[in-house]
Amino acid sequence: MKSRRLVAFLFLSAVFFWGQVFAEEPIRIGLQAPITGSFAIEGQMARQCVEVAAELINEQGGILGRPVEIIVADDASNPRDSALAAQKLISQGVVAAIASYGSSVTEPAADLYERNRVVCVAYGATAVRLTMGKERRYFFRTCGRDDSQGEFFARFAVETMGWRRIAIMHDNQTYGKGVAEETKKYLEPYIREGRAEIVYYDAITPGDQDYSAALTKLRESNPDVWYYTAYYPEAGLLVRQAREMGITVPFVGSNAVPNEDFVRIAGLEYVVGTFMTQEPLPQDLNTPKAQEFFAAYRAKYGDIPSSPWPIYAADALFALAQAIENAKSTKPDDIAQAMRTMENAEGITGPIVFTERGDRKGVPYAMYRYNEKGQLELFTP
Amino acid sequence: MRVFFEQLVNGVTVGSFYALVALGYSMVYGVMKLINFAHGDLFTLGSYLGYTFLVWGAAWITERAGLWWGVLGAILFAFLANAGAGILVERVAYRPVYRAGRLPLVVSALGMSIFLQNAIMAVWGPRFQVYPSDLVPVASLRFLGLSLPLLKVVILFLSLGVMFVMYWIVEKTEFGAAVRATALDREMATLLGIDVQRVILFVFTLGPALGGMAGVMNGMYYRSIQFSMGWNYGLKAFTATILGGIGNIPGAMVGGVLLGVIETLLAGYIPGGGAWKDGFTFLILILVLIFRPTGILGEKVAEKV
Repeated sequence: MKSRRLVAFLFLSAVFFWGQVFAEEPIRIGLQAPITGSFAIEGQMARQCVEVAAELINEQGGILGRPVEIIVADDASNPRDSALAAQKLISQGVVAAIASYGSSVTEPAADLYERNRVVCVAYGATAVRLTMGKERRYFFRTCGRDDSQGEFFARFAVETMGWRRIAIMHDNQTYGKGVAEETKKYLEPYIREGRAEIVYYDAITPGDQDYSAALTKLRESNPDVWYYTAYYPEAGLLVRQAREMGITVPFVGSNAVPNEDFVRIAGLEYVVGTFMTQEPLPQDLNTPKAQEFFAAYRAKYGDIPSSPWPIYAADALFALAQAIENAKSTKPDDIAQAMRTMENAEGITGPIVFTERGDRKGVPYAMYRYNEKGQLELFTP
Repeated sequence: MRVFFEQLVNGVTVGSFYALVALGYSMVYGVMKLINFAHGDLFTLGSYLGYTFLVWGAAWITERAGLWWGVLGAILFAFLANAGAGILVERVAYRPVYRAGRLPLVVSALGMSIFLQNAIMAVWGPRFQVYPSDLVPVASLRFLGLSLPLLKVVILFLSLGVMFVMYWIVEKTEFGAAVRATALDREMATLLGIDVQRVILFVFTLGPALGGMAGVMNGMYYRSIQFSMGWNYGLKAFTATILGGIGNIPGAMVGGVLLGVIETLLAGYIPGGGAWKDGFTFLILILVLIFRPTGILGEKVAEKV
């Protein structure tokens, strides 16, 4: 009887200690995303992507030998709920947070994470001021910034396509004007070398319906390419009216142009052949990490994500995992320091390296073109 | 020089839309001394009604009678349906507050504008709607080396025609005399046995009907429509009305076309002008109000209608 008890005791304690060794306390990482609200599809895809990424990390031994646990908070894509979601994640003691989609939604959350010293990695917030406005020590983003798009266009237009006479049109709003000004800035070296010339630089009034005055002026400037850096409703009208006026110059839209409504407003016959500067779409990513990730994602959900943004959410987790691994610590200051200095993080969209201010270095952009079916296709000249 | 004429044609086209909207605006103001804020949204309503007509019914007409009959049908449908909407708006939002003075009337009009905008959004959705491209004619005329879309010409002549008909009704008919009398002095007109209520109803029927017509033509011309677009047109038409002389039918026409031309030329010739187009518009409004509050054709101010 006595020996039986002893055996049971030994057995139970063995199980207990055994468990201690293998079931380490998980590392909790928060995901704040618009699970409901008008961008719900983006948020839900982000959750699926981050969960698949977490499974991949756990299969390969977790972070510092500990499993990753994802805690999801819904910000419904509005700034008020964003603050609540951030508060919820902070009070649950997450080590770091991935947050969120939309610059104006991300901003209040970023302030809260900053105040509570939690590392925050944004995945769909491209406004320049998020990193350049005030200094944030715990804020990073895996997506690009509005100005890297201007740089990409300038290089592509001059070096790849050999377009000389460049027309830039924007809508005088923060995003559109920002991209236009950055494009102009990055074109300047080429202008000095005599390889490019800005023949048209003007804004149109958003919400108008008749752009014939601006388009007549555009046609008279006789450009090789026409870069429009604002939103889709005006872009649709502009493309249609220009083509109806007989203006055949190649149209390039920035990344707020391509969507279903742009195609509807402009009409499919006029959309075919228009270019877009755009983050690479998931189907065109082929890094080793991308192949691994999409195989796992497809096995679980049948297809790959249709939007580029959730991929950046998964990349945020890969970046955080590598940073914690490098820092050998889960203290926010150590993670933030490691994020700034690491050079070995591999993401789905390529290597993930951050600047001192938390922006991603060398964000990939790509040139896309609409095909006959009204779908975006990677353009290779 | 060719470019200048082209810009002029562009300006006249935009201007004829402003003029069509301004005609209804001006008439309501002439008789009621009311700035009808809901007018721009009735314009939107017209373009949505025309859209629905084209999508559901025009294929049937076009198959049997040809493209232009479908277009005409849509314009007529929007004209009549919007006339009905105008009567309803008058009954619901204006008649109950006539006696309360001018300010409650303006507030009621503003409320109606917000209501209409949201109602349109609730029925047709917040997304852009696009007029079916195969149901709108795309033929163009060649004239002095310029290529003019036929639709542009039709729009211009239609608004001119409407103006002449309205002018004729108001100036040459007996009913027109009653309208003019009501505009001058409503109480006196009542004492003289004029059915003022009928005049008011006429004004609130014809104004929105013209707005609806402008809405359909706008939709056909620019293809994409959205629930909130009327506000901008309302403001432009208001400016055009002030510019031409408020309450004056030829004035609304002249003001509308002139505004379109000024806007286009400034956007076309001043560097960076495209961004300041609306700024110019409202600068003109302010200048006219300061230096010539009666507008360009302001001498006829005594004959307000």
